[in-house]
Amino acid sequence: MQADLKWLDDPQTYRVNQLPAHSDHHYYRTVAEMQAQQSSFVQSLDGTWQFAFAPTPQERPVGFEQPDADHQNFGDIQVPGHIELAGYGQLHYTNTLYPWEGKLYRRPAYTLGDTTGMPGMFSAGPDNTVGAYLKTFTLSPKLRDHRVVIQFDGVEEAMYLWLNGHFVGYAEDSFSQSEFDLTPYLQTGENLLAVEVFKRSTAAFLEDQDFFRFSGIFRSVRLVAQPTVHVNDLTIRANVLDDLTTGDFNLTLALNDDAGQSGAQIKTILHAADRVLLNQTVPAQAEVTIQHVPVPNVHLWDHHDPYLYQLQVEVLDAEGHLLEVVPYDVGFRRIELKDKVMCLNGHRLILNGVNRHEWDAKRGRSVTVADMQYDLQVFKQHHINAVRTCHYPDQIDWYYLCDRNGIYMMAENNLETHGTWQKMGAVEPSDNVPGSLPQWRGAVVDRARSNYQAFKNHPAVLFWSLGNESYAGDDIAAMDRYYHEHDETRLTHYEGVCRNRAYEDQISDMESMMYDPPKVIREYLDNDPQKPFVNCEYMHDMGNSLGGMNSYTDLIDQYPMYQGGFIWDYIDQALLINDEVTGQPVLRYGGDFDDRHSDYEFSGDGLLFADRTPKPALQEVSYYYGKYDR
Amino acid sequence: MANTTAKLHVVYGDGTLGLHGEGFQYIFSYERGGLESLKRDGKEWLYRVPKPTFWRATTDNDRGNRFSEKSAMWLGADLFSPCTDIEVAVNGQVITLPIAPENNRYSDHETADKVTIRFTYTTTTVPATTMTVSYTVDATGEIRVQAHFNGQAGLPELPALGIRFSMPTAAQGFTYRGLSGETYPDRMAGGQPGDYQVTGLPVTPYMVPQECGMHMATERATVTRAITLNNADPDTEPFSLTFKQAGTPFNFSCLPYTAEELENATHIEELPLLRRTVFTVFGAVRGVGGIDSWGADVEAKYHLPADRDYDFEFVIAGTQD
Repeated sequence: MQADLKWLDDPQTYRVNQLPAHSDHHYYRTVAEMQAQQSSFVQSLDGTWQFAFAPTPQERPVGFEQPDADHQNFGDIQVPGHIELAGYGQLHYTNTLYPWEGKLYRRPAYTLGDTTGMPGMFSAGPDNTVGAYLKTFTLSPKLRDHRVVIQFDGVEEAMYLWLNGHFVGYAEDSFSQSEFDLTPYLQTGENLLAVEVFKRSTAAFLEDQDFFRFSGIFRSVRLVAQPTVHVNDLTIRANVLDDLTTGDFNLTLALNDDAGQSGAQIKTILHAADRVLLNQTVPAQAEVTIQHVPVPNVHLWDHHDPYLYQLQVEVLDAEGHLLEVVPYDVGFRRIELKDKVMCLNGHRLILNGVNRHEWDAKRGRSVTVADMQYDLQVFKQHHINAVRTCHYPDQIDWYYLCDRNGIYMMAENNLETHGTWQKMGAVEPSDNVPGSLPQWRGAVVDRARSNYQAFKNHPAVLFWSLGNESYAGDDIAAMDRYYHEHDETRLTHYEGVCRNRAYEDQISDMESMMYDPPKVIREYLDNDPQKPFVNCEYMHDMGNSLGGMNSYTDLIDQYPMYQGGFIWDYIDQALLINDEVTGQPVLRYGGDFDDRHSDYEFSGDGLLFADRTPKPALQEVSYYYGKYDR
Repeated sequence: MANTTAKLHVVYGDGTLGLHGEGFQYIFSYERGGLESLKRDGKEWLYRVPKPTFWRATTDNDRGNRFSEKSAMWLGADLFSPCTDIEVAVNGQVITLPIAPENNRYSDHETADKVTIRFTYTTTTVPATTMTVSYTVDATGEIRVQAHFNGQAGLPELPALGIRFSMPTAAQGFTYRGLSGETYPDRMAGGQPGDYQVTGLPVTPYMVPQECGMHMATERATVTRAITLNNADPDTEPFSLTFKQAGTPFNFSCLPYTAEELENATHIEELPLLRRTVFTVFGAVRGVGGIDSWGADVEAKYHLPADRDYDFEFVIAGTQD
């Protein structure tokens, strides 16, 4: 197969030759590696890559993926990172209006009766900058003679991949991991990896989040080798029975299709700090299931006591040698609706939450683990118990950290189409995507699938969120259905259905609103509410704000179905740039890069300034969230 | 103990009224319409006469709900409201304003127990209203400041209401007994009572500079400076001035800029070099709001309607405090 630029224009082409999404588990060659969290199956490709930038697709270096191409004009770039922060391409912040506003007239393919599919909209888009990346690598000895796949944790917004001149695959969805099998094209000695990143594709319509519009390989890239028998996926269901004292452990492993012929065995151990609850060895099969292992007097997982059991799955070859070991932390907890109230482990849940964009003033959305650890300290110090991953999946590490720190997650998939239905403040969905358009359904359900499959085993994830501000139609209903069909243990969330209530029976287990004044929430709760109420965004902390928070928290005492919410938002999005006048580092925002149309300071809504120093309002959050920190 | 036998010395000048005592010298200007000089132990504390303040630098929420548009005339009033009347009382008795030639009947050794000088400012709003600011000085050098805002129907809501003191040089910092952090009427539950020290004159670095630095419910605040503009004063020993509550706690901010300077900047780095101290005592503070930043108003109980009167007072501590 050859790469085709037309995929950029086609909403029905969003993954080509990508491996199916699967659980985000790590695996190791030995128990010692596992304990050190250093897998010899992994070879990082982060670091310096060769790079060439083109302002349009037509000016890109066609054929650069070929090993014999002339790469003299290539410079360097750091991976992970944004192209725009590396000095190529203009920085740009815009909220709902699409980044081409006032420059190019675009309507999404297949809207407004279109049957042409709008060929050329992005493949010939004069605003579609291109980054051509090259990385030379030699497979480390520990990866040789294995199946080797490559994982891109985040590439914005569309990428084509080649190895040694052979086309490998294509991916969209900037914030979900994209994985490809490199094995057929690997060669001994040096290999040449080529990635062509386009700033725009039809995915641009689906990624209209209120943020800086970046492009590039902004999260880590790695090679991972797989042993001959390998756990591709695991699904853990650590349920709690009605007595709330007995755990019910279930596990499904997906191995290679031919695992049954390998003679391998699967040893599964579940243990707490001091006791072994399960130790079972069975022959490997393509699918291995363990059902209903009771855990008496189970130690439940919650915010104050995020207790984790340890699962260890060992794959042993026919001779009993360890091929790989997969660890996973297991939290037993039960989230459910009882009398229209969301309960965790039988108790009414109060969400003292924040919306958190991934942000680092120097690195943009390419955040570090140190950023995450700092954020969790802030959460702990100020009684923040919940986070919405607005409006895309975060880096994988964040989910593990939330498990360990007892942070309730509203895990949102990557979707926002705000500019297709809200025009100058009015609901005007005539060219809305995904709407009920069949041509867009696959792409958005794929985003739900990637989110679910990757993060389904995290006890921290209590809710699946279908995205943000994308209106509602059959396609988002299909996303909700996907989550519910695959996961009976969690609730779904979507605010946008309130804009099109015809779908409220099909979409979202909770009534979610943003920025409703307290009296409007009271009206809802006083009038036979059918779903519990959550503020998916409230207390808009732009500048000097966050007054009157008690008018919301008072509702906690007055209405059992009022369950708190997520403050907008955790951190300002501004960039630390050297002042063109003084040379001093200063925080700059939309419009400061000659970027137009811009929404200027509208991205400064955090409880923290962009450099992670707290705003004065944080002590107020600490007070009220502390008051309801149950 | 205060020296109860000391008298307040009064200088009935041609353009000013001077009030002196042990360690203090105050000059009230009839022409400037206010307290022109507040000198303590040889150190000047005022750069320009204190004036009523009616404006706060637009917050993002103010902009979003168009509050500043609706209340824009208070910006003009903050900048331009003139002093339109002055009244002097000695030992509680109002006297004929002692300007020339009325002051010819006084001597070079006039004294009093206390003197009150009241300035009336007429706002440049339409309709206009008035605010009076009275300074009552006794022999200890204590200044009791009492302010009265006359409510006037037809005026838009007030962004702020206070008295602004502009000090000649930037403070090293300030201490206060009140609430932790920055507080506003609708955001003060998290403020912990205590004694706090602030180093320098930090401007809270919101992306767009705006109203900041408010301290509600304060018992006392002390500003400390180290340098003066006096060319004959090379001393750099720190010196301080204390503001105290008079009965009920007061609200204040201590910043290097006026509301107008903050208003004009789109980034913190555009603000002028740090030169002065702007210490403002607020008799009333509008809430900051927080529901959203594109239309939701501050909750009604945290508004400052201008059709009602406001009274507030505080004390500038005397030399023996």
